[in-house]
Amino acid sequence: MPDILWFIIRRLLATVLVMLALSLAVYLIFYAIPADPAHLACGKPCTPDRLEQARHFMQLDQSTIQQYLNFLKGIFAGRTFGEGAAAVHCNAPCFGYSFPLARPVTTLILDRLPVTASIAVGAAVLWLIIGVSLGVVAALNRGRPLDRLAVGVALIGVSTPSFLLGLLAILVFGFWLNMVPVNGYVPFSESPVDWAWHLVTPWLVLAVLQAASYIRLTRAQMLEELNLDHITTARAKGAGEARVVVTHGLRGALVPIVTLFGLDLGGLLGGAILTEKVFSMQGLGELLISAVGQLDVAVVVGVTLFSAFLIIVANLVVDIVHGALDPRVSHG
Amino acid sequence: MSSSVAGAVSPTRQALHRVRRDRSARVGLGLVVALIVVAAASPLLVKLSGQDAFTYHIDLLDPARGNAPQGSFGGVSGEHWFGVEPLTGRDLFSIVVLGLRTSLTIAIVVTVVTTVIGTLLGITAAYVGGWFDAILSRLLDFLFGFPQLVFMIALGIIVPAKVPRTVLLIGVLSVFGWAGLARLIRAQARSLVTREFVEAARSVGSSGWWVITRELLPNLLGPVLVVATLSIPGYIGAEAALSFLGVGVPPPTPSLGRSISDSIAWVYTGTDPWFMVFPGIALFVAVLGFTLLGDGVRDAFDVRLRRTH
Amino acid sequence: MAEPVLEVHDLRVTFDTEGGLVPAVDGIDFSVAAGQTLAIVGESGSGKSVSSAAVMGILPSNAEVKGEVLLDGRELVGLPSDELRKIRGNDIALVFQDALSALNPYYTVGWQVAEAYRLHHDVSKKAAFQRAIELLDKVGIPDAARRAKSYPHEFSGGMRQRVVIAMALVNDPRVLIADEPTTALDVTVQAQIMQLLADVQEEFGTALVLISHDLGVVAEVADDVLVMYAGRAAERGTVRDLFHRAAHPYSLGLLGAMPRIDVPPRPRLTTIPGSPPSPGSIKTGCPFQPRCAYTERVGERCITERPELTPRPGEGDHEAACHLGRRPEAVV
Repeated sequence: MPDILWFIIRRLLATVLVMLALSLAVYLIFYAIPADPAHLACGKPCTPDRLEQARHFMQLDQSTIQQYLNFLKGIFAGRTFGEGAAAVHCNAPCFGYSFPLARPVTTLILDRLPVTASIAVGAAVLWLIIGVSLGVVAALNRGRPLDRLAVGVALIGVSTPSFLLGLLAILVFGFWLNMVPVNGYVPFSESPVDWAWHLVTPWLVLAVLQAASYIRLTRAQMLEELNLDHITTARAKGAGEARVVVTHGLRGALVPIVTLFGLDLGGLLGGAILTEKVFSMQGLGELLISAVGQLDVAVVVGVTLFSAFLIIVANLVVDIVHGALDPRVSHG
Repeated sequence: MSSSVAGAVSPTRQALHRVRRDRSARVGLGLVVALIVVAAASPLLVKLSGQDAFTYHIDLLDPARGNAPQGSFGGVSGEHWFGVEPLTGRDLFSIVVLGLRTSLTIAIVVTVVTTVIGTLLGITAAYVGGWFDAILSRLLDFLFGFPQLVFMIALGIIVPAKVPRTVLLIGVLSVFGWAGLARLIRAQARSLVTREFVEAARSVGSSGWWVITRELLPNLLGPVLVVATLSIPGYIGAEAALSFLGVGVPPPTPSLGRSISDSIAWVYTGTDPWFMVFPGIALFVAVLGFTLLGDGVRDAFDVRLRRTH
Repeated sequence: MAEPVLEVHDLRVTFDTEGGLVPAVDGIDFSVAAGQTLAIVGESGSGKSVSSAAVMGILPSNAEVKGEVLLDGRELVGLPSDELRKIRGNDIALVFQDALSALNPYYTVGWQVAEAYRLHHDVSKKAAFQRAIELLDKVGIPDAARRAKSYPHEFSGGMRQRVVIAMALVNDPRVLIADEPTTALDVTVQAQIMQLLADVQEEFGTALVLISHDLGVVAEVADDVLVMYAGRAAERGTVRDLFHRAAHPYSLGLLGAMPRIDVPPRPRLTTIPGSPPSPGSIKTGCPFQPRCAYTERVGERCITERPELTPRPGEGDHEAACHLGRRPEAVV
């Protein structure tokens, strides 16, 4: 037990270090920006005087390293831009302040997160169920029609860009059959039914596409597992077929499946960007794309770091879960 | 020493032979050849159709329906084989074949760049070891932890407009693309480095370059080929996704992803869904063809898979 | 002779493969009584392991089994899979060759032994685990209560094989089939495991079917011996029959290939020239004929006529399938 605890502590420390290195890298890259965000803030006509004022106000007149330290400080203690009545407060944890949107980046991200998370988590649950069960069915029916069907579905899944399938779904189910709403997001708190109803199509689209790689992985893993000697042992013990397949076969295939799932969840933000655009939902992806268009560096840095944070945390969780799932992994 | 080289070539030949016998791989190969021919000959095809991708044909649009094309199937006719683009009336066939050329060019260039970089760095790290290997490994960890798509989108903000977007796109996809191959090749090369024939080559005083190019590289040809083939559909998809999000190939260069993105409004309203269908099919077939071929190449080279059959 | 617990008559196993029907076992008979040990010997590929898997009913689905397998007079071939499952691991248990791969790496050994018990007894998990500890203790695993919570990879080869034996014994089976139980172990551990099996047999009156190619082990523990060659019986008799009156040139070859310390050393160990044919590849004549040193003395018959198992005159139940009437002398 203490072994695992030490392992987690060590990995947590390493994670913090990686986050620091990553944020510094992102900061250096994005604050080397040739286009000056102060230009946008200073309005027209932009006299050199007003530009200087704006730069000072936005704390862009300091060195990049100083700005980065301010940024780090803001995460723990919050920040204040300007003085007196015009001062703008950004409470801890402050991940920057968007002057074009006049909101702290933290608030912006938290506002948009429910949309992206709703899409991502719902789809993830669906595709895990679809992918693993179809993969198992395919492996058990190797070479037979069911297997070929699952492999074919998987092939089409990996070959179809999500935005294409999304548009096709909108066209067929939304427009031609008029079954589901084609766009928009309804918050869960407003109406859980409408929330789910609006999300059904994006969930299915993402799930069908992502399930493809889970079908392939599960099928390959199960074919390997079911060939192992300990499966024969389980049969020889008198275990029923379902028990042999699930308790003994799927248990061994679990580690790579869970690993893939963790990493996919961490990287889901990327996939959600495309889905949000197709289904006109105002999530984190939409926030990022419009920020790029407006040269809103604070938001771009914030969202980039946030998605990096998700990936790193997912990696950490996968490592820990991996250790918990496979007794042969040593934490020494 | 030549025996190891000969030994490496013949499994490669065997693998290629297996690819030829695999039905779905053959379909993939056929599709890939057809796609490449179409893409390469696209200017010719466009000329043959008597159209181009830039001329507006306002007269073919129906103002009453928000300037959607007149006629059925998005205005398909003898002159405009795939109909015309809504709002502009540009020839959709030209846009699709030239867009396909853009897609394939970017994907293939990126694949070549990442394959060369990934293979060389991976092998070198395995052969040299020490600090070089350590640094490369950390760099790989860093790249894997990076939100790639987010970063690619975000990059649009910092790269000056005078850098051509196509070059930027190739650069960005390459920067993130080599990591996977490098990690795989490094692992494979490490197991080779300790093998007898490499040690024998070292002991007779062969230079590092000789060992890498004459001993390691031929033995790693299989995995390199597999990863390279399988990564092409990924890059086709990535280019389309970035163009779809408006941060890829800029207009007026035809791009499948951007055309699909432009079609969203026409699909939502149902006024011209065909605008999505033609570029969509082209994109789907491109990814499918390379995926099928890639799967075939992988199955043919993958020893473990082959044995279970 | 005592009433046999397990009787096998004219057992035939055919595999349906892409290359056509492949016979693996071509009509063998054997029986074993309570407390007795039958050894089945032969080179790899002779059909020994397929026979035992056929008795257990754990062959892959492309195998067709014909003949009779009687457990206490009850026919097992053709029994519904549910009925068979109640017998597997309960009345007939299997000890595998390679304990590392025969055990599931993801579960503790106690869990795995307890699972075998729970599959045939309606008891709580806790009670089953207690039973598992009891058995682990009985097969000589020190500190069984604590070690039961360890995983297979945390045991030595010999200890793992003890776990597998505990798993096989947990339901007090009538018949124990041990498939090369000591091949993966070093010599001193081999002796311990064989002693353990002998002790168990004495205590519970278990009928033991020992599959082996190690004639040294066979000489020590077996009562009866069946020599298999290319899916058929070459010779059958008591252990004395085989070691003192071997009637088949193949048996003689096996004896010649065995190092012995109880007889003065021969100039060198002999080996049987050539390699065994796959079952069914020799359609007519004696399957051993291509490797047999006596063919010239017998002549045509070896090539044209398949020898059947025939009793050796004046030697009780001793039978051999050889056209050579008199006993072959060792050819060195």
